[in-house]
Amino acid sequence: MLRQVAISCLLAALALPAAARTRPHYGGTLRVEIEGDPWQRTGGLARRMVLDGLTTIGPDGTVLPALAVRWTSENNDHRWQFWLRSGVHFQNDTALSSAAVEASLTASCGASCPWSAMRAAGSSVVLTADSPMPNLPALLAGDKYLIGFDADPHVGIVGTGPFAATGELNNPGVTRLVANETCWQGRPFLDSVEISSRKSIHDQWLDLSVGRADLVEVPAEQMRQAHDQRLAVVASPLVSLLALTVSDSGALSSPSLRAAIALAVDRGALSNVIFQKQGEIAASLLPAELTGYAFLFSTQRDLNKAHELRGGVAPPALTLAAEGGAAMQLAAQRIALNLRDAGFSVQVVSAGAPQHIDLTLRRLTLESSQPQCALESILRAASLPVPVTEQTPAGLYKVERAIVDTHLLIPLLYLPRAYAVGGRVRDLRLGPDGAPQLAGVALEDAP
Amino acid sequence: MNLRQKLLLLLSLMVAVVVAAVAWTVLVRIRQVFEQRDQEETALFVSQFQREFQHRSAEVAASVGRIAASERARSIAFQLAQSGDASPYLTEAQTLAQDAQLDFLEIVGPDGNIVSSAQWPARFGYFEPIAGADQPTFLKTEDLPDASSALGIFAMRTVRRSDATGALAVRILAGKRLDQSFLADLPTAPGMQLALYRDADQVPAATQQSHLGPDMLPFEPKRLIGAAGEVSHADRYESLIRSAIRSGQQASSILYLTVRREDSVNATAIPLKNDTGVVLAVLIVAISRSGMVEAQQHIRAIAYGVAAGGVFLAILASLWIAARVSRPIERLAQAAEQVAAGNWETRVPERGHDEIGTLARSFNHMTGELVAQRDRLVQTERVAAWRELARRLAHELKNPLFPLQLTVENLVRARELPPEEFDEVFRESTQTLGMEIANLKTIIGRFSDFSRMPKPQLERIDANEALRRVAQLYFRPAARGEQEPSENLSPAFKIKCMLEIASDPLFIHVDPELLHRALSNLVLNAMDAMPQGGTLTLSAQPKGKAVELRVADTGEGLTPEECERLFTPYYTTKQHGTGLGLAIVQSVVADHQGGIAVESRVGGGATFVITLPRADGTES
Repeated sequence: MLRQVAISCLLAALALPAAARTRPHYGGTLRVEIEGDPWQRTGGLARRMVLDGLTTIGPDGTVLPALAVRWTSENNDHRWQFWLRSGVHFQNDTALSSAAVEASLTASCGASCPWSAMRAAGSSVVLTADSPMPNLPALLAGDKYLIGFDADPHVGIVGTGPFAATGELNNPGVTRLVANETCWQGRPFLDSVEISSRKSIHDQWLDLSVGRADLVEVPAEQMRQAHDQRLAVVASPLVSLLALTVSDSGALSSPSLRAAIALAVDRGALSNVIFQKQGEIAASLLPAELTGYAFLFSTQRDLNKAHELRGGVAPPALTLAAEGGAAMQLAAQRIALNLRDAGFSVQVVSAGAPQHIDLTLRRLTLESSQPQCALESILRAASLPVPVTEQTPAGLYKVERAIVDTHLLIPLLYLPRAYAVGGRVRDLRLGPDGAPQLAGVALEDAP
Repeated sequence: MNLRQKLLLLLSLMVAVVVAAVAWTVLVRIRQVFEQRDQEETALFVSQFQREFQHRSAEVAASVGRIAASERARSIAFQLAQSGDASPYLTEAQTLAQDAQLDFLEIVGPDGNIVSSAQWPARFGYFEPIAGADQPTFLKTEDLPDASSALGIFAMRTVRRSDATGALAVRILAGKRLDQSFLADLPTAPGMQLALYRDADQVPAATQQSHLGPDMLPFEPKRLIGAAGEVSHADRYESLIRSAIRSGQQASSILYLTVRREDSVNATAIPLKNDTGVVLAVLIVAISRSGMVEAQQHIRAIAYGVAAGGVFLAILASLWIAARVSRPIERLAQAAEQVAAGNWETRVPERGHDEIGTLARSFNHMTGELVAQRDRLVQTERVAAWRELARRLAHELKNPLFPLQLTVENLVRARELPPEEFDEVFRESTQTLGMEIANLKTIIGRFSDFSRMPKPQLERIDANEALRRVAQLYFRPAARGEQEPSENLSPAFKIKCMLEIASDPLFIHVDPELLHRALSNLVLNAMDAMPQGGTLTLSAQPKGKAVELRVADTGEGLTPEECERLFTPYYTTKQHGTGLGLAIVQSVVADHQGGIAVESRVGGGATFVITLPRADGTES
């Protein structure tokens, strides 16, 4: 018995340090390096950390309350009312109000809002539209509709999120965020986050390897390389769609030509070589994980059919632009090469080129794990009309098929988002859109 | 143009022609030598450049060989053979190309498909048609992602797997771009310019079938790219480039880029062909001729200066020579003119023993002889004149003396006669003696008049009036007739006198008495010439700045010999003439700055023409 007690005590003593390691510590500064702008409206890392939405997407894809504690819909989802959480303050101690929410949402989407009218009603905001908005709560969880405002030119954007912008300009290219002590969700573990922007992937990885950075980006096409270099990579599910948006004016006003383009692209080469087998070939807008019917869309390249659809007509030279970095440019060149095989003359131009662009290679984020919401977010990002979607898989398939058959948006690949973390970072999780959720991150060596 | 000027011109022309001929010959020869040297230099530069080009090609081949032999390439080949997965090597070509400083690099798999491409990364998986056996360097037009193409020096090497089999796995096809930076990187001599002409580089090579064939596209100057960008005056290279393309051989020519000769180049066009012999581009090696042309111009300027100086000196020498040669001749000419003017005492200096000296001596000898002969002639003529005078005097005096002698002898014989008869004889004899003595006085008076011609007292008179006065003296009716010819016959000789004068006066400056005497002599001579009668015509008419007075008869006329001697003193054709009449007429006319001539033929009468200057000097 004594022997058993002694062994138990020994095991307990051994287990204590282990338990202590799993318990996060407060404090420390997380150094993050990214290629883009931390304040960009879609996918901006700092924006996600400073601002909150009315709703948020849970790990299981369900819509959860955030700044809105509850919501109701009326009139067949034409009218929505969101009740705001009480006792919430912005980082400048201004209380969250329905008027501030109304102003923020109006500034966020301008004329392209899903709703047609919005008004503050006490501690709630009411949004109405001419068409049903069944996915509005999920949409409001997206980056575009985060609540905040530009309070002070020295401070920058002010929100209710776990971190607050300091507006420090000591180090150019570095955005410093500090923990919001009065955050309604509770104080984050980290004292501060320093985000170094405009850093190349090579430099990010170098800084990570020498300990100058804690969190860096890993593009999908370099995930294998990151693994080869034994970086600790945290990858999201397939959260972005690589797609070709096709202009329905000019040379590609003919649906058959657009169909020929869709058939001419070699998705396999894009996936296997350029994106190093880290993505999934897509012919549908939504991945099979969300819908289950993605296999019904053919991903096969059919040059003969493409030639047939082109009908021997040599269209004028098309312009193709790619939004993004080197991999996107390379993918655009590959697509151009594929299209030349099908008899098209394609010139790859920069995204900001002044001339009319016929084809644009874009990476669209699936902002929700709810299929209808994800579809709507993709269509809105692609500036395509959003049809009324039925909540049944069959109805969703019908809608998606109709959209895909217009060939105005040609799905190519689903891609994940990934980050590499340093050894002192713990508990990093990625959100449903693949963005890192730094509010729950702690540092191993924090005091 | 005098002799000196002619000599000067001739000598100057000769010198100028000689200098010009020498200068031209020298300049032509210099130009030939310069151009020959320039061509040799150009050929040397081109040869050096071609060696450098081959060296660069060898460098490309060596680089590709090193890549193919590298551990990395062998590892790729091994792993490809093991896994067949080419995706991990997508960017490998770019890395290898960057390390080897190559512009083009493709890793080609065993199946001939591109595993990785540095110049066109998106071309992975596409078939590379050139991938065969190893090839030394060759030229190739490579398609690029922006739908253009580029020319490059390529080499291909096979990577042998590092495993025991050593089987062929992948090939490395790599090269360097032949472009502006390549040209700029090549070492060039001073004044050398390199340029590359490519046709239709915006057309992908796959569709560029003709390349730079004989049916090449229209020449576009902007496609001629040099180390510093577009080549100035690129259009001047068109013919040379076309020639190189057409023949497929190296072509050289001197190209004048502007109107200035120093803006010319010695250009060589080198066709760059691929392994099938198709001309892909033309490389231009242009060597400026400015240095040579400037040297030529410098030499030419010196030659022109020397020639001008030579010509100037030659002119000075010609002046001196012409003066030295022509001065004695000019002196001779002036002396000859003076001799011609009557100054027979003129002499010229005798210098030297050359022809001019001989000529001067001969001239002086000649003038000396002339003077001596003139003196002898004067002496002779003087003697002859005295003899003639003596003869005439003897002749003239002999006639009256004979009656005087007879009268005196009769008178002597008459002393024997009775006084009455003696008185009558005496009276007749004294009468005869008186008459003969008077006759002798007359003869002596004529001689005296001839020897003492009075000096003319000039007056302005009308020549018509002078003729009318003479006619009135000898033919009174004719003088009255004025304009109409008079046909009144002389009582003694039945001579018809005709007066032909103009209505306008013809003024002359003469001594009226002397002119009247001269005209009277002519009229009397004419009357003597027509013993059987005839027509005497007196006329006056203007002729130029003179007035012609004519006295014409219709007598027997004169022979040419008589005409020649007619005005000689004491020459006469009449039986009782003194021969002084016409001499007096000539003397009078000469004293009035006029002239007298006779027009006659045998049986046709004679016309004496006196020409006197008009008083008003006008010309009719």
